[in-house]
Amino acid sequence: MASHRVGEADSGAPHHHHIPYAIPHMLHHPNNSTFINQEGSAFDFGELEEAIILQGVKINNDDKKQPLYTAIRPAATLDMFPSWPMRFQQHTPRGSSKSGEESTDSGSAVNTLSNTPESPSDHRQPPPPPPQMDAAGGIDSPRLSGSHSQPAAKPAPEKTLRRLAQNREAARKSRLRKKAYVQQLESSRIRLAQLEQDLQRARSQGLFLGGGGAASGSISSGGAIFDMEYSRWLDDDHRHMSELRTALQAHLSDGDLRVIVDGYIAHYDEVFRLKGAAAKSDVFHLITGMWTTPAERCFLWMGGFRPSDLIKMLIPQLDPLTEQQFMGICSLQHSSQQAEEALSQGLEQLQQSLVDTIANGSANDSMHHMAVALGKLANLEGFVRQADNLRQQTLHQLHRLLTIRQAARCFLVIGEYYGRLRALSSLWASRPRESMIADDNSCQTTTDLQMVQSSQNQFSNF
Amino acid sequence: MYYQTGSYNFPPKRSVATDPLERIERMAAAHAVVIFSNSTCCMCHAAKRLFCGMGVNPTVYEIDQDPRGKDLEKALLRLLGGASAVPAVFIGGKLVGAIDTVLASHINGSLVPLLKDAGALWL
Repeated sequence: MASHRVGEADSGAPHHHHIPYAIPHMLHHPNNSTFINQEGSAFDFGELEEAIILQGVKINNDDKKQPLYTAIRPAATLDMFPSWPMRFQQHTPRGSSKSGEESTDSGSAVNTLSNTPESPSDHRQPPPPPPQMDAAGGIDSPRLSGSHSQPAAKPAPEKTLRRLAQNREAARKSRLRKKAYVQQLESSRIRLAQLEQDLQRARSQGLFLGGGGAASGSISSGGAIFDMEYSRWLDDDHRHMSELRTALQAHLSDGDLRVIVDGYIAHYDEVFRLKGAAAKSDVFHLITGMWTTPAERCFLWMGGFRPSDLIKMLIPQLDPLTEQQFMGICSLQHSSQQAEEALSQGLEQLQQSLVDTIANGSANDSMHHMAVALGKLANLEGFVRQADNLRQQTLHQLHRLLTIRQAARCFLVIGEYYGRLRALSSLWASRPRESMIADDNSCQTTTDLQMVQSSQNQFSNF
Repeated sequence: MYYQTGSYNFPPKRSVATDPLERIERMAAAHAVVIFSNSTCCMCHAAKRLFCGMGVNPTVYEIDQDPRGKDLEKALLRLLGGASAVPAVFIGGKLVGAIDTVLASHINGSLVPLLKDAGALWL
């Protein structure tokens, strides 16, 4: 049997998908040896079971070096639990060979049986993964490889190996279920956003400004797209910050540090570019701060942070500064304040003009007034653009004024500051609210709100 | 702030047919800080407030109130190369740009020296 396995493994790419000889808690088949002996069997009961459990998640076996526990292309999903490594250590080829015969057929079988993961349709709620199996599965890989050096104990190996393989398989299945669940959540979120948008459209027939759409929390598709891009940007931000942190601690050379800092600047340039695109498709989403966490929204100015406030926060954190640097940064703060004031006044005039237009909209002339008002609303995008321009320029100027080491620390401080602000939002959202328990209705609302917020914050917290 | 409204009567009648670009150049050269604006444009209001806030007195031409404003607008649009003809800011007769350039130059500290050189700002 062992040679059979080895032959299998050598013939194809080293796959690591193990359908164990027996999955007692899943199958009712007493005789399991039939699976083992069929080389390259296209249809495996274990495969069918797995496919059903996975609920239409496609397993990609095309990569040569398929890690053990990653079956789905990670690019399609948001890594909701990045602290759980998406790629585990790989099995040695010998390790996979033992139960590796399934690997060749698992790909083909499951691929034919499953749907594409992108379809947001009926994902059933996956059963909770057996926790002890997970742990066992995680530890199993080295143990299994070790076990292949043929331990002396003769009666143990087959049963042990079978059990280990089962554990591995169960662990893998639970990981895949988790992935499927995450994708389900993701697609439900998009669906929810679109449903809200449709609902909003239906409700706002003939109403100006969408009848208080912002209050009902509807997200346009442009807004939903930006939210996804932004959450990815936040993940990137986390990565950049770790890089900065380790670079500073490792006392890298200025040249190396410069590369990292430049990368961080480019990372910020990217978010401003994203916001620019979002401003075109849904300026309200930006300007009302629906893309940020509630705590950040408190301090929102024209769709983002207020640059002069940021500098004010930074000055004490950037010590020691030379006299010249200090003057430069104070001057930067001053200029930023003036620019913010100018833009705020411009926006105020826009709002006043809008109020006048709407107030004077008579029944006879309503269409004309609507058209005029729409034209004025279009200017909002310009203001958000200029505010972002101001933010971007401020960060670049900071970069110019500081030494490379100071700049690295500066950006780390900024990142950590906003990270804490976001964390504050999460904590606030999940704080215990005993007063709500009595009232069923409000409890429901609270829970929903919490879910929405925590799903939002989940992305920003990592 | 000084507003120049109506037709620009200073040059003799035959230069009414002047190329709008030339007109712009001439208008811009006439004062230290010149803003081409639109009376209904809120971003122009922001530009004006910025300079006033710095203690500068810009000269403002409201091109929507100029009889040949359309030509000016087209010429400015070409000069700025952007989406909007206004606000267009000239300092010391030279084009600085639209609001984004003005803000950027203020943040990077180059606006104030420009203003001082043009005599629009004294420390």
